[in-house]
Amino acid sequence: MILDSFKLDGKVVVITGAGRGLGRAMAVRFANCGADIVAAARTVAQLEETAALVRQIGRKCIIVPTDVGISGQCSAMVAAAIKEFGRVDVMVNNAGIGEDSFGKPIEQITDDEWHRGIDVNLSSQFYCARAVIPHMVKAKRGKIINVASGYGLRGGKHNYMYACSKGAVLQLTRSLALTYAENNIQTNCIVPGIFPHNEAMMKFFKGGKFIPIGRPGQDEDVGPLAVFLASEASNHINGELIIIDGGGLAGGVIPTGVAPGNPS
Amino acid sequence: MAEHKTLPEGLKDFSLNGKAALVIGAEHPVGRVAAITLAEAGAKVLIASQEAGTDDALREVAKAIEATGAKALIHVQRAALRADLRAAADLAVSKLGGLDILVTALDSPFYGPAEAADDSAFDRVFEDNFKTAWMAFQEAGRVMLQRGGGVIVNINSVLAERGVPNATLYCAAKGAVRNLVRALSLEWARRGVRLNMLECGWTDEQGSPAIEPGEFSEKLVKYLPYRRLLKPEEIAGALLYLVSPAASFVTGESIAVDGGLLCRV
Repeated sequence: MILDSFKLDGKVVVITGAGRGLGRAMAVRFANCGADIVAAARTVAQLEETAALVRQIGRKCIIVPTDVGISGQCSAMVAAAIKEFGRVDVMVNNAGIGEDSFGKPIEQITDDEWHRGIDVNLSSQFYCARAVIPHMVKAKRGKIINVASGYGLRGGKHNYMYACSKGAVLQLTRSLALTYAENNIQTNCIVPGIFPHNEAMMKFFKGGKFIPIGRPGQDEDVGPLAVFLASEASNHINGELIIIDGGGLAGGVIPTGVAPGNPS
Repeated sequence: MAEHKTLPEGLKDFSLNGKAALVIGAEHPVGRVAAITLAEAGAKVLIASQEAGTDDALREVAKAIEATGAKALIHVQRAALRADLRAAADLAVSKLGGLDILVTALDSPFYGPAEAADDSAFDRVFEDNFKTAWMAFQEAGRVMLQRGGGVIVNINSVLAERGVPNATLYCAAKGAVRNLVRALSLEWARRGVRLNMLECGWTDEQGSPAIEPGEFSEKLVKYLPYRRLLKPEEIAGALLYLVSPAASFVTGESIAVDGGLLCRV
């Protein structure tokens, strides 16, 4: 029965950036499909809220306060997951910063801003993959889901760290996928389009009116895709980037509606 | 289908309960899998062929569907004929009560040196792989637009993304469908019709060069990241995701089911 292959009963899913936005939406959706959650992020109060939502569904959730930009904290977080559950079935590398950092001219961006962004958006995915892969190799199976962005495929005006870090995530995905295919570990990448997470972003993205489908993404849109990629239903999908953007990246060569940063 | 009532909350929007679906090319292995998958997920399915004279193959698919407790209708047609496609779309509306989902699984091979191919090869390969898809999108799309929406998935090949020698026309026709899906998805995005694609890797199916004994297939399998061919039933998950309401923000996109092959240099 095809629908059964999407179930996540008893799977252990680690999610970074689980305190809000896409990360929280994925945690809730995973729990609604039967998974237990390890929620990692910096802000404990936000993690507590996510954990409460997961527990309300009747699934287990542990929170691990983590700065994913710091290597040692990523390995400690994965170790905490293993200690609690004995395994990690799915690693979701979702944490990211700087989605609203565009617009600053290049000469005003400090080294610290650049490095911090690369650390959190890119290095964290490397650190967490490195920490989790030995356990998945031992288990002879595993799923790694990296979250990138449409800006990882296209450029944007005054969009440096974000576009570069997200573009590199696509490449990390491909190389992990090829390397660990024979260990039955699938690595794939979710590529979200415009998902405004606050009023300012909603305004900057003009309410998403330029998006072909006519609306911006909502965090809940990503949940089912994450479930698909975490489940056995996607066992032959590996190294793939799945764009979830209401059609945005299918076009972009005529000024329909006009995305921010383009001349209108 | 009773088991749908016991679906976990998080999988409810993967169900196709009450949807009407048309599968074109159900005599092909991946088309067969598509028809069975849609039926298992709750859809009423009209099973149509790409080629005439495929009655037995379609009847076998219908039987497999009926074994799951679902019903299935058969429409033997030559899909390269517009009148046949139009009849299929109309039949879905009259017999299934609508047309919410179209899946096209079209295939017509081309092997050989480009310089030796005549115009009839071009016409056949483009008619069967590209023009038929175009006409099917138009005919089903016409109904879907009128009824307020729908979902179309074209089952294609990794050769829509890359070239291989001695299969030039095939690669060209498959790649043409890829960009047709992009352009048409934009045109219909605000009118409730989503279009997406699946790209199959080298598949374990009759007629594929990947299963002909010999040096090519031996080397090929070693080159594949999973070191084995794709089984047609392994497309089921990606197909169901794309056609279901779970993917309502996904359009103009293509999912490769290839074990990572497209990541290779």
